[in-house]
Amino acid sequence: MNFKQMISPAKRLGAVMTGLVLLGTGLSAQAATDEYLLTVTRPNQLHVIDTKTDKLLRSCDVPGIFGNGGIAASPDGKIAYVMTNKWEDVYGFNINDCKIVFSMKQSSKGVQVKSMISMTVSADGKELYTVQNPVKLHKDHFETLQPRLAVYKTADGMNAKPVRTYPVDRRITKLGFIEKTGEVILGGADVKAIDPTNGKIRTLAKLQNWDRSPEGWVPPDAFAMHTLGEHIGEYIMPYFTIKWNGAPGDMEKAEFLWGMTKVDTKTGEVTSGEVLPFEFIVFNWLTDPNDEDIVYGSFNQLSKHNIKEGKTLAVQPMPHTYYNINMLQDGSKIYVGGTSSDISVHDPKTLKKIGSIQLSGDMSTSDLRIAKVQR
Amino acid sequence: MHMYLHEEVLKKMKHLKSFNKKAKMLDAAVSQGEVEEVVAMQSVVGCTSVNDPGWEVDPFGGLGSLCQPMESDLYGCADACWWPAQVPDTMSTHPNWSQDVAKADEDWRKIDAIFPESE
Repeated sequence: MNFKQMISPAKRLGAVMTGLVLLGTGLSAQAATDEYLLTVTRPNQLHVIDTKTDKLLRSCDVPGIFGNGGIAASPDGKIAYVMTNKWEDVYGFNINDCKIVFSMKQSSKGVQVKSMISMTVSADGKELYTVQNPVKLHKDHFETLQPRLAVYKTADGMNAKPVRTYPVDRRITKLGFIEKTGEVILGGADVKAIDPTNGKIRTLAKLQNWDRSPEGWVPPDAFAMHTLGEHIGEYIMPYFTIKWNGAPGDMEKAEFLWGMTKVDTKTGEVTSGEVLPFEFIVFNWLTDPNDEDIVYGSFNQLSKHNIKEGKTLAVQPMPHTYYNINMLQDGSKIYVGGTSSDISVHDPKTLKKIGSIQLSGDMSTSDLRIAKVQR
Repeated sequence: MHMYLHEEVLKKMKHLKSFNKKAKMLDAAVSQGEVEEVVAMQSVVGCTSVNDPGWEVDPFGGLGSLCQPMESDLYGCADACWWPAQVPDTMSTHPNWSQDVAKADEDWRKIDAIFPESE
């Protein structure tokens, strides 16, 4: 299973043509769009950054104790939904004036409910989704209950309650939304999609439960956190695996490989497969909006790769670890963040650092999202 | 917050030269057929029971694949309960731990240990 094999030449040509058409129309759309970089830091503030100047516009106080700092932006880019209070509550902020327009608390008396980062918004902005992991707190023990997808109506405003819930797998962390099918992407051990109107689940890409023999492959280790690819309507998730070309464990013949699962969040089209030899750890990948073969990776280094050719093109060492990566819709700037209190700004061509945005506290596990607002 | 490779990898990295004390122990164990014991010790002593965040080795016995420096990774691991026995459980039992320290790399000295309430 390889990207080169999975995408036929005709399909690839079609993708290129589509890209060119989109580029043509996209330029005018970009001109009418303001992009804001959003992240959350300790002690607990949502920060709104103007990507034209890379200056902090405003910081909104988030109720509750920090954690995890997950962010889902409404489709019109005006509302940022923030996960807070030990991974339990969500508040919706108008990013223009910090006004809180939505809130919900997931825990109730005797039942503690955490969402492990997992939150997203529907394409029409009317529904907010979280995967809830409930634990019943007995006097002498905890009882883990069935995880579920919870559906909230964003129009319900303050103290919203779920309007529907459906059982889902454990270990789900990274959510997305497919515009065409109206499904929520569930990223975890495998990548699945659930219809939030009836709870029906289908598998998009098998990872932990893939069909490959353990004699030939090590089951993939997927990192399902943070970066989504919202700048181009993509849900992207890395995984690592080993291909045993000889006997299992024979390192002389083994190949260490990076793979990735990508879902087009407009159409739902899925691609999954190995794309690069493993050279170093990368936490998140991001696709270049002007060339689908180019991806950037963040961790202890910022890196640039060609996944069609399976080559690393450039590596920029970083002063510390950064979990997250994002970039502008026109591909002109890369932002890396997470962990500490600075967002590092880079030129995608050379990966050279071209700026730094200093924040009031550490980002820790927070997201680094782009909100696109039409003028 | 690290990605771990298959145990087989660790056992078969013959082309690596031992660099530190732990790596030398692993080499010795390989020759004596006691790899399982060393791998288990890495897991038990290195990652769960010692209150020393940042004391870890990556799957290759080095530091290159670990988050760096530890101060940048401290909250990212503590907040997600990645180090369940090394730092207080901020999700459930000690939510206020480190809330006064916004930047771990600047003020890590102010981050205190947690003691049982009865003491």
